[in-house]
Amino acid sequence: MAFEELCNAVEAGDRDKSKSLAQKLVEGGGDPLAIIEALTGVMDRIGERFARLEIFLPEMMMAGEAMSVVVKILTPHLKAGSTGQSRGKVLLGTVKGDLHEIGKNIVKLMLEAGFYEVKDLGVDADPVNFIKEAEEFGADVIGASSLMTTTMPHQKEIIDILKDQGKRDRYKIVIGGAPTTVEWAEEIGADLYAPDAGSAPRLLGGLLKK
Amino acid sequence: MSNPYRLWEIQGRSNTGPFCDENDFLPKVFAPKLQEIVKKHEIKYDPKTPVPSDEAMADRIWQAGWELFREVGLYNTDTHRIIRLSDEEIREALYATSDRYWVGAGKDAVLWKHRQVEDTEPPFCIYSPDCTCSEELFYSYCLSFLKEPLLDGFCAPILEDSMGQKIRSASPFEINGCTEHIYKMRLAAKQVGRPGTFFVAVGTAEHDTGQIAVSNNEWGVRTTDSRIIGTLTEFKTADTLLNRVVHCAQYGCYTGNLTGPIYGGWCGGSEGVAVTLVAYSLNGLCIYGAHFNQHFPFHLNWGSNTTRELLWPISMAGQAMARNSKLLYTSNGFANAGPMTEMLFYETACHAMVSTVTGWHLWEMASARNKFRNRATAMEARLAAEVGHAVARQGMKREQANEIALKLLAKYEAQAGTAPKGVEYQECYDVATALPTQEHYDMYRKVKDEVAALGVEFPY
Repeated sequence: MAFEELCNAVEAGDRDKSKSLAQKLVEGGGDPLAIIEALTGVMDRIGERFARLEIFLPEMMMAGEAMSVVVKILTPHLKAGSTGQSRGKVLLGTVKGDLHEIGKNIVKLMLEAGFYEVKDLGVDADPVNFIKEAEEFGADVIGASSLMTTTMPHQKEIIDILKDQGKRDRYKIVIGGAPTTVEWAEEIGADLYAPDAGSAPRLLGGLLKK
Repeated sequence: MSNPYRLWEIQGRSNTGPFCDENDFLPKVFAPKLQEIVKKHEIKYDPKTPVPSDEAMADRIWQAGWELFREVGLYNTDTHRIIRLSDEEIREALYATSDRYWVGAGKDAVLWKHRQVEDTEPPFCIYSPDCTCSEELFYSYCLSFLKEPLLDGFCAPILEDSMGQKIRSASPFEINGCTEHIYKMRLAAKQVGRPGTFFVAVGTAEHDTGQIAVSNNEWGVRTTDSRIIGTLTEFKTADTLLNRVVHCAQYGCYTGNLTGPIYGGWCGGSEGVAVTLVAYSLNGLCIYGAHFNQHFPFHLNWGSNTTRELLWPISMAGQAMARNSKLLYTSNGFANAGPMTEMLFYETACHAMVSTVTGWHLWEMASARNKFRNRATAMEARLAAEVGHAVARQGMKREQANEIALKLLAKYEAQAGTAPKGVEYQECYDVATALPTQEHYDMYRKVKDEVAALGVEFPY
């Protein structure tokens, strides 16, 4: 019962209730891994509802925060070796010269909710910085967002510099942003084009399985 | 008084306003306050009525937008401080601003005035393809728009290349592109015999340096023209944007505040978008010193605003501002479909009609979601302006606009997610003469006749 209540509380974005129910479940001997797996399903469902705009960004964000609170409570109770639920490491940023961030931020939120580890470079990020930070973070994926046609060349620049440094194969490169297209992604040699924030986790999951 | 309002007292708050961690601003300041205000003022979206006639709710939306602006303010991402104004200051700015401006020069100057709901004065029509375009098509593009008889102002497409090189924001290539942009606009306006046409320019400039480089009354952006200065979604700004505010004020040109509140994003649903549009207009007046506000609310997934969840906030915010202020504001259409498709013409007609009847001026038309190079033309802008003039002249009421909007929505709304991209400019225009192909014209005329049959009384 409390298990179901916890799922509902996370879905409703109720941090306080999620926290107390998670504590209660753990203290009652609940399996933390089973709880996290169930909540992963909840977050996937929330992501799908958000992609269809049945719920909006603030609700999505609140559910994500409730989930984070629960994960913090459960993590110390997980057995060694069972915490590896991360689906991958993603370095995200909006490219140099571009201050737009909402699309990139939604992708970040959805990836985190989907158990990806995300490092966010923010906006106006230099191509060289993308690469340095990706190395330091041990990223599997570099995601570069651009909202202006005049900043799109910086997406290409990241790939070009990686090639020049002989590091292109180390990372999957994902691009997105309003003026970008699948044709642009192909032209610059990106591995994936994310047409919208909602589809990014699913598409990324597919890419990383390859 | 001409804007800006108390320039240095307001700008100074970038340094002295309350500190806020940027990560907290939207989730902890903006979104909860907006939700609270929408609830408090009992603002409720009704999908059955894209053009409501509920004046009491329009007034509540005005009040809600005012409270949102006062409580949330504008966040400067460079200083991490919030610029906020008091009720008294907002009242003073609203009182002191003018309800009309002469824009453009010489015989081509036009008086741009505040409109009322169901106003019989036609809207001020700014034609803009909004899209990017290839360098070799740019001049023809300018000619094709400047040939349009109902054009009151013109915003040219954005150059992707200049002298064969890709334009990169904040680089020398951007300054070069901006120079090419304004020179070609000027020449095109001269060649069609409208040299003083009001320009909103230059869209090629993403960075402040590009804008500032082309301020010149002889060959560049004149003081009778305008710039638009963006606000970052939602309610954020940065020094590169505020640099433009100060430059435009000191140079002496007109200024528009460009905003795009997102349905499904931090604004939430239709109610939140309506309230945010009002709040953005106050932000434009009080912080950006804007003479007009240029709004393009859009759908998070589709990037358009011609479906009912966006027509409703456009309609309600328009009424709220028309009834409670003397501000000037343009409604910027974003269609799902691309050029030379019937769907685009239906979307355009609907957006222009709803906007005009509810007090807006027009800025039309971003086609194919403003996503693809060369995919917008002056033909959809022409239809929008003709619809705007027609419904104003006939004194169309909101109830009739609502009925017609529902009929038009039935023609395209189900295809919003799968809309056709249409064709590129050079496929539906003769590039040399800058005139539409016969096939393109015939499609426009067919849809215009259909719209007329629904009750829009075109004079020709």
